[in-house]
Amino acid sequence: MSAENSMGGLVTVERYYQKYGSRARELKKQGKGIMGYLCAFTPVEIIAAAGFVPFRIKGDVNEPITKADTEMETIVCPLVRSCFDMALKGKYEFLEGIVIPHACDSISTTYSVWKNTLNLPYAHLINMPHSTDEPSFNFYKALLGTFRASLSKFTGNEISDQSLNQAISLYNQNRAKVRELYGLRKASPPLISGTEVAKLLIAAVSIPVEEANQLIDNVIEEVKQRKTVPAAKPTRIMVVGAQVDDVAFIDLIEDSGAWVVADDLCPGAREFFADVDVTKNPIDGIAERYLRKIKCGRTFREKKGDYEDYLEERFGHIGRFIKDFGVDGVVLYIYKYCDPYGFEVPAMKSYIESVGAPVLYLEDEYSMSTIGRLRTRIQAFLELIGSK
Amino acid sequence: MTEEKKPEERKPRKHATEAAGKIGPMVKAALKENLRAKEEGKPIAYAFIFSGYDEIIRAMDIVPAWTENYAGICGVKRDAQRFLERAEGENFSRSLCTYALCGLGFDSWREETGEMPPNPPWGGQARPTVMLGSGQIICDPRYKWYQAVQHYMPDVPVFVGGLPYPPYEDDYDYRDVQDYYVKYIVEELRGLVAFLEKHTDRKMDWDRLSEVIDISDRTWNMISEAYDLRKAVPCPMGTGDAMNTMVPMTFMMGTQEAYDFFKDLYDELKLKIANKEGVIPDEKYRLLWGGGLPSWFALTDFNYFNSKGAVFPAEVTYRLVEPVYNLDLPRVSDPLEHLAWRWVKYWTYRSDKARKRPGSNPDVERLIEYIEEYKIDGVVMHEAFSCRSWHPGLIWQLNQLKRVYRDIPSLILESDIVDISSYNEADTRSRIDAFIETLEAVKGR
Repeated sequence: MSAENSMGGLVTVERYYQKYGSRARELKKQGKGIMGYLCAFTPVEIIAAAGFVPFRIKGDVNEPITKADTEMETIVCPLVRSCFDMALKGKYEFLEGIVIPHACDSISTTYSVWKNTLNLPYAHLINMPHSTDEPSFNFYKALLGTFRASLSKFTGNEISDQSLNQAISLYNQNRAKVRELYGLRKASPPLISGTEVAKLLIAAVSIPVEEANQLIDNVIEEVKQRKTVPAAKPTRIMVVGAQVDDVAFIDLIEDSGAWVVADDLCPGAREFFADVDVTKNPIDGIAERYLRKIKCGRTFREKKGDYEDYLEERFGHIGRFIKDFGVDGVVLYIYKYCDPYGFEVPAMKSYIESVGAPVLYLEDEYSMSTIGRLRTRIQAFLELIGSK
Repeated sequence: MTEEKKPEERKPRKHATEAAGKIGPMVKAALKENLRAKEEGKPIAYAFIFSGYDEIIRAMDIVPAWTENYAGICGVKRDAQRFLERAEGENFSRSLCTYALCGLGFDSWREETGEMPPNPPWGGQARPTVMLGSGQIICDPRYKWYQAVQHYMPDVPVFVGGLPYPPYEDDYDYRDVQDYYVKYIVEELRGLVAFLEKHTDRKMDWDRLSEVIDISDRTWNMISEAYDLRKAVPCPMGTGDAMNTMVPMTFMMGTQEAYDFFKDLYDELKLKIANKEGVIPDEKYRLLWGGGLPSWFALTDFNYFNSKGAVFPAEVTYRLVEPVYNLDLPRVSDPLEHLAWRWVKYWTYRSDKARKRPGSNPDVERLIEYIEEYKIDGVVMHEAFSCRSWHPGLIWQLNQLKRVYRDIPSLILESDIVDISSYNEADTRSRIDAFIETLEAVKGR
């Protein structure tokens, strides 16, 4: 464990969040291999079982995208562009390789750009299917087998079932701790702010899972022992979107007089709520989790039953969050050029309204330059909720 | 009111080949056929081009409605804006695929009123019986668009089958994984047949499917042989025309009509070559359309290039075939397996070549191959803002081309496929002028 991790949990979180990648850099100096990846659909268990620290590549809303435009089109999702820009600017110089899942067009169609521009010793695309039927499941398992073999070849060591099971166990503990953390948000006022949770989860995907587990424990303990009760705010908000790896937007909502008490985001509930089942062949459980359990717009679910059932199948988890966390309103926060979520908006909005929560849909560009405009919209939305 | 807006009247684009001139009436006839099929109660399938299922639809006598095509027609007719605006009004971001937005605007309009939107381009698009998506390594709208349409037509079933191909990797060869790719695709195509049999009154006639595949294989070969003739100097047919002749390649594959069309094109090009008849009389620059879908509302830009002495003997876009006899396909008895192998081998066709050139990849290798075989002086690409399927990676391909091959003049135009508000004709043409000057300077060296 790092020395810092034994300090106060939230202080450590703040440090890891502000100096994103600092722990990975330290570990690299100690001889540990750091494997970069994009998106919640990368099976981190396999990377960890191979002996690497999985490291989530993040962007930076405060950093104008400059270098990336020389190699990557501006029509790509701004988050992906920002991640690539940070990588080009040397922020992730400690990476030994990169793993990219076929999550969406912006991620997968830029694979050649990532692979050949960064020129890291290792690169691999996991070509995961969009469908969840049995042939897709078996195909995905075969892809994971290819990935496992590829990483084994790279390290020169076989990835055993035992090491996979150990990694699965650690990540399942990690997810259980996050669920416990989310439980602290159900109180009114919540025991922990949305901004604090977001910072913790972002920090957690940049350090080894064992350290993340300890860090989450420390934060939970610290929060439970807080002497100051969080301020009462009239409105409880849920944020839904793709990957939000910066707290600026969550902070904006909380700064406008509301608590963010729930989310369907990455890093966030979408990424941390589903476990890997313990299966005889560990790849089966991993495949089930990533292909079928994570509810994301990039995965196509076949319509069974009537349309209302279909909406429940796709968005029912959002409805359950609204109920369980006492959510007063939902903000759909979608980046420009996001195909998996952009096409969801009318259906998702209609579902959320049908369970009684007002919805604000915001399209953004992953940049601090839009914060002023967003603030006005958020304030108007909170007023609308307050007037009801 | 947007409903009352009349599309801009424009003169048809000038074609170099008679074949390209036949396309407009063919598309019109196909759309009429769809509307007639609807009246007659025949099953209609919303479908995407290049999704591996053309032959299945044809063999089952299901009428395809190519929704990208209809959006493209709206673009060509400069009558897409009212549908884009309607989709935007439904909370679909204007940054999404504008084919999809145009279709969503059209469908939501038709569903709300129970009839075609007023004055729909070429009669409009009929309500489908089923919608056939596709889960590929590219193009999110292929599984998201029809799912989104279901919000307005919840009773119309959607099928999304996986159709992947092995990515080009350094750490393994595609042959290491091709068997499980083929197995998966076959299972998904079999699932599609079962879906169509369940949701329409049609049954698969497997002998008929083999016949249809035989026609499409021969069409793949005929297209390749016809397009190869464009290597001639002067070039007898340019990319402007190829953006018309893509119609039988993408919307009519598996029909005798498509084969005959390309046989006629082959004969026409042979004759033009014999007569030394080029797209333009004084051919100064030979350009490669190196990537990106065209701006359907601005195809006359190709004529503008022609007016500057430039022709496009080749394009990457919509050259969706290779000679089947070059693909090293295994002999298989299952027609679905043949389709799967053809798909995988098409996508991995230049992998071996790329491996011989460090830093290259199949996309870059294709550019190099066309540059050499078609005697290319410069590369033009188009970055359509709304499409993340075909357009990300173009800048890198050009950069890599220069790194691993040679420096060659290049131009990336920026606009869209359907959304005319993204287009500025004066600006586009001044960029073309500047590019022509560069070509001239390079040639003069």
